[in-house]
Amino acid sequence: MGENNKTSRVQAYVQQAIKRPESVYKVAFYIATFGFLVSTLFPFYWLTALAVTPRDELYGLGLLPNGFNPAVFIEIFQRAPLHRFIFNSIFLALTTTLFVLVIASVTGYVFGRLEFPGKIPLMLFILVISYFPPASFLIPLFELFTGNVTILGLKSPDLFNTPGSMILPFSALFMPLAIFILTTFYSQIPDGLEDAARIEGTTRLGALFRVIIPLSAPGVVTAGVLTFIYTYNEFFFSYLMNNGEPANWAPIVHGILSYQTQYEQLYNFMAAASLVAVIPVAILVVFAQEQIVSGLTSGALKE
Amino acid sequence: MAQEQTLRHRLAIHRPILNRIERLNETQFAYLLLVPAGLILGVVAIWPLIRTFEMSLHSDALLSPDVIGEFVGLQNYVEVITGQRDSQMGSAFFDPSNPFQSALAVTFIFTLVSVILETIIGFGQALVLDKQFKGRRWARVAIIMPLAVPIVIQGMIFYLMFQPNIGFLTEPLQQIGLFSSAPLAQSFDATVILIVADVWKTSAFMALLILAGLQSIDRNLYNVAKVAGATRWQRFKRITLPLVLPMVLVAMLFRTIQALKVYGLIETIASCNTVPSLSCMVVSTFSNGLYGTSATVAFIIAAIIGITVTGYVWKVGDDAIDT
Repeated sequence: MGENNKTSRVQAYVQQAIKRPESVYKVAFYIATFGFLVSTLFPFYWLTALAVTPRDELYGLGLLPNGFNPAVFIEIFQRAPLHRFIFNSIFLALTTTLFVLVIASVTGYVFGRLEFPGKIPLMLFILVISYFPPASFLIPLFELFTGNVTILGLKSPDLFNTPGSMILPFSALFMPLAIFILTTFYSQIPDGLEDAARIEGTTRLGALFRVIIPLSAPGVVTAGVLTFIYTYNEFFFSYLMNNGEPANWAPIVHGILSYQTQYEQLYNFMAAASLVAVIPVAILVVFAQEQIVSGLTSGALKE
Repeated sequence: MAQEQTLRHRLAIHRPILNRIERLNETQFAYLLLVPAGLILGVVAIWPLIRTFEMSLHSDALLSPDVIGEFVGLQNYVEVITGQRDSQMGSAFFDPSNPFQSALAVTFIFTLVSVILETIIGFGQALVLDKQFKGRRWARVAIIMPLAVPIVIQGMIFYLMFQPNIGFLTEPLQQIGLFSSAPLAQSFDATVILIVADVWKTSAFMALLILAGLQSIDRNLYNVAKVAGATRWQRFKRITLPLVLPMVLVAMLFRTIQALKVYGLIETIASCNTVPSLSCMVVSTFSNGLYGTSATVAFIIAAIIGITVTGYVWKVGDDAIDT
């Protein structure tokens, strides 16, 4: 009887599903959504569980924390100057962003609003630069920034262990993307506005600075948010262009790796430091998600 | 008063310059405004590229104070590709006798598998985000979040997750025979973990680009198809898929380019000795002072990327590029 009941219930469900497939799609949709959320957020949860587990209890850690030691979030700062590493990263990212925005605004204006011979080849050329791996800039830049290149009888300045040795390569890496985002934005501003300003008697540069650049504020914010995130993310030059000392502007890459020594593995510290170092960009994602989405798509659409 | 005077004074100096800018024709004006970008890209990107290429044509200056040795033409390329050059690094599961081919195989496998998985998962995420539902804003934040996580932290997460004694996955996976007891020290296992880590972080990139494609589709098409009696699957196959395909291909191209350069993730999760990618080979030869070899490998990666991009554009057509 029970058996029978069960099969008939399954049958009823299947019949209903065939009759109203929408409900099945709905269930599938929620399962998929739940799956994606769990898989993207799980590593953050697990990192927290690992961080708050006392170091002696780490062995055989499962999915739940093995004890509760919130003091780890203070201990990481005592062990290494994590705040300085995070400050260095934010400083490098902000400076790079400002630098990139100023130059990419002007360049984006040129590509987005002016017609001149050689426009397409020049755009393609900038695109090609962003295709090259960072590794193919490494050796000459290393020479240049350690003061070993002589140009017209002048030795290059020794920028190794200074912000300059990272801001310059970061700029070269991320400027193409910013240029493409801003080109898209500038090309969407109607021609009439600029013409009207010109007829009213402003100069060329006046029209650029008084009309076009203020109107492109959303584009500038978008390009800025993405450049900041990418710079904060960067590994290659962050890792290789300084000696890892916090006083020498080493960014977060070295901060996280500093809990990993040859003699001991401070797993719970690594987890806690990773969580703390993610906070600045996590806040940015929550508040600037629209900009991130539009930046990625307009950069891509252009390319 | 004094302030006004300085202002006027300053204007007096700038006036001739401004007038001259005003008199330039549009082409000259455009080129003038391109100077700042040209300078920075010239010094930090174009000059280094040319210099790297020049270095790749010179032998390694071993036992000499010079940075590079004498001019050898394409000899470096020949020796690196045929495996005669010792890259001074471990070689993975592929071919221990030829470090370059090993690195090439690792890079290709990593790129191919991770880009395919990211496309599938990103497509799913995009379909979810395309729907209107309560809490969509937060779902989007959650899906984008890995994209903003610094590479070193992404690496740290997966490094910790697969540690022999603390990673909760290591033991169960070992018991069902999938991984060894120290997967991060094993080339093959570590490559699998690297792919998972890459998919975790960058699926959202695919998702966002595909989402943009989905949202640009005219919704009326679906209504018309519905009225005509098309099933959900037919609507997906006949409308959604062909219309977002250009966007999917653009997204795949970007991810392919990025994956071919993989370095930081390897260095933090498994080390370049276990999973030697091409970029790993550049860095390890560089730190051993083999500048000629290093530059050669760097240029081979660039060439591979160049061929991939050209192949994509040629095969897929221009429509994927100027959408």
